[in-house]
Amino acid sequence: MLWLWIFIGLLVLLGILGVLGYNRLVRLRMEVDTGWANIDVQLQRRTDLIPNLVETVRGYAAHERGVFDEVTRARAAVQQAASPGTAAEANAGLTVALGRLFAVAEAYPDLKASENFSQLQDDLTDTEDKISAARRYYNATVMRFNTVVQSIPWVLFARPLGFREREFFSAEGDTAVPQVSFGTASGT
Amino acid sequence: MTLQEQIRSNRLRSGIVVFGFVLLLLVIAGLVGLALDLSLGVAALVFAAVYGLFALIRSRTMIARMTGAQELGPEELKPLRRLVENVSIAAGLPVTPEVRIVDDSAPNAFAAGLRPERSYVGVTTGLLRAMPKRELEAVLAHEVSHIRNRDTYLMTMATIFAGVIALIADVGFRAMAYGGRSRKAGALVAVLAIVGFILAPYAALLLRMSLSRRREFLADAGAAEILNDPEAMALALRRLELDTTSIRYAEASVAHLWVESPTDRVESERRGVVALSSWFNTHPPLDARVAALQEAGGFQLPERLPPDVPFASELGIA
Repeated sequence: MLWLWIFIGLLVLLGILGVLGYNRLVRLRMEVDTGWANIDVQLQRRTDLIPNLVETVRGYAAHERGVFDEVTRARAAVQQAASPGTAAEANAGLTVALGRLFAVAEAYPDLKASENFSQLQDDLTDTEDKISAARRYYNATVMRFNTVVQSIPWVLFARPLGFREREFFSAEGDTAVPQVSFGTASGT
Repeated sequence: MTLQEQIRSNRLRSGIVVFGFVLLLLVIAGLVGLALDLSLGVAALVFAAVYGLFALIRSRTMIARMTGAQELGPEELKPLRRLVENVSIAAGLPVTPEVRIVDDSAPNAFAAGLRPERSYVGVTTGLLRAMPKRELEAVLAHEVSHIRNRDTYLMTMATIFAGVIALIADVGFRAMAYGGRSRKAGALVAVLAIVGFILAPYAALLLRMSLSRRREFLADAGAAEILNDPEAMALALRRLELDTTSIRYAEASVAHLWVESPTDRVESERRGVVALSSWFNTHPPLDARVAALQEAGGFQLPERLPPDVPFASELGIA
């Protein structure tokens, strides 16, 4: 009789632990989702700025077609990216393409002096900062989530319950965001 | 410990401390009731409740007024606001806190607000003139993690409780000293009451200290995590430590804390605000905080700080 009670007690205890652990996983997954939404907002903002930027530069340097195509392609790649990993890669590609665009802009003093251009440049720099801020938060949440999913006992149950490891938002060379700057806009 | 768990543990701890404060308040009101008059004890409790509620509702504006923090116009100091925005995003705050400026040459910062959605970060002009961007960002991240960890709420509660307890103890003490005690009370009760009235504000202060010291280490660690740069936080703290204006400020605040007479109500309220705002008082020594960061980050700060361009020059307010 006593053993039966101990057995029931253990079952109840296990049940409580299971519920607590499950809720914790749900909470962690929600943090990851929020973190991803934050990045998404900023990526969206960045891609929204680009048509305007391309038009502005085209106004001064219409024949630099190659660069415009490259930027437009890179922008499309960011918009089509389906997972954090590919989005990060596409975003890094966009950074490279934009770097080239700004290098081209170097050669046009009128363009550089244009208020519209420096405003766009300022906004882009700001968005890049915000993407990297959002990435830090997102990656931290992914780290916490994945750690729990990969550790015992959840490594056994997480998958059947629908908790899959999440991808980090990172691409090679993405850690050092290239500075879009010639004469800081805020200093002048 | 994840962030959510940290916040929950903070809530639990807050619960315990609030309970401690309530207990202290009851004891003080009980002493008033025993030594003076029962109705006075009840009146003290009612007063405490009304005062506490009022202070809680008004705390946001009260703190702004006491620290002299000015709101910014929509286009003012945009680079600074962007920094706060970025730090809040990295911290995962749902809403970016407002930024307010205190015109004071001592480098300092504080955070206020009961809820993260309605919080603000106050920054002195001295801080902008002293800190380069990287370190300023660390200081902002420190304040933002106070908001994220619900420390601002907790400290506001603690300050209000401490103020109300000091006030009631003060009135009780004066009533005993000048008005004489009621005939019913024996000599023992009278002595107990006087001792209680003298000690209560210190007990409240201790309760508050027990909260805030740990919170500072947590906020430092939070800032290091938000920026992924523990060295920046350590550098900022070291710079505060070396700054002579801040040392003058620090000494004044610490003096407030320890030497100040608990019978002065205005002073104790001032103290409450200072504790919220100051980096120094009720804070662990800067040295210990730098050491904790060095240990966690596995780095060693250089003897001398690298010369750097303060952020103020970027804002054009140098």
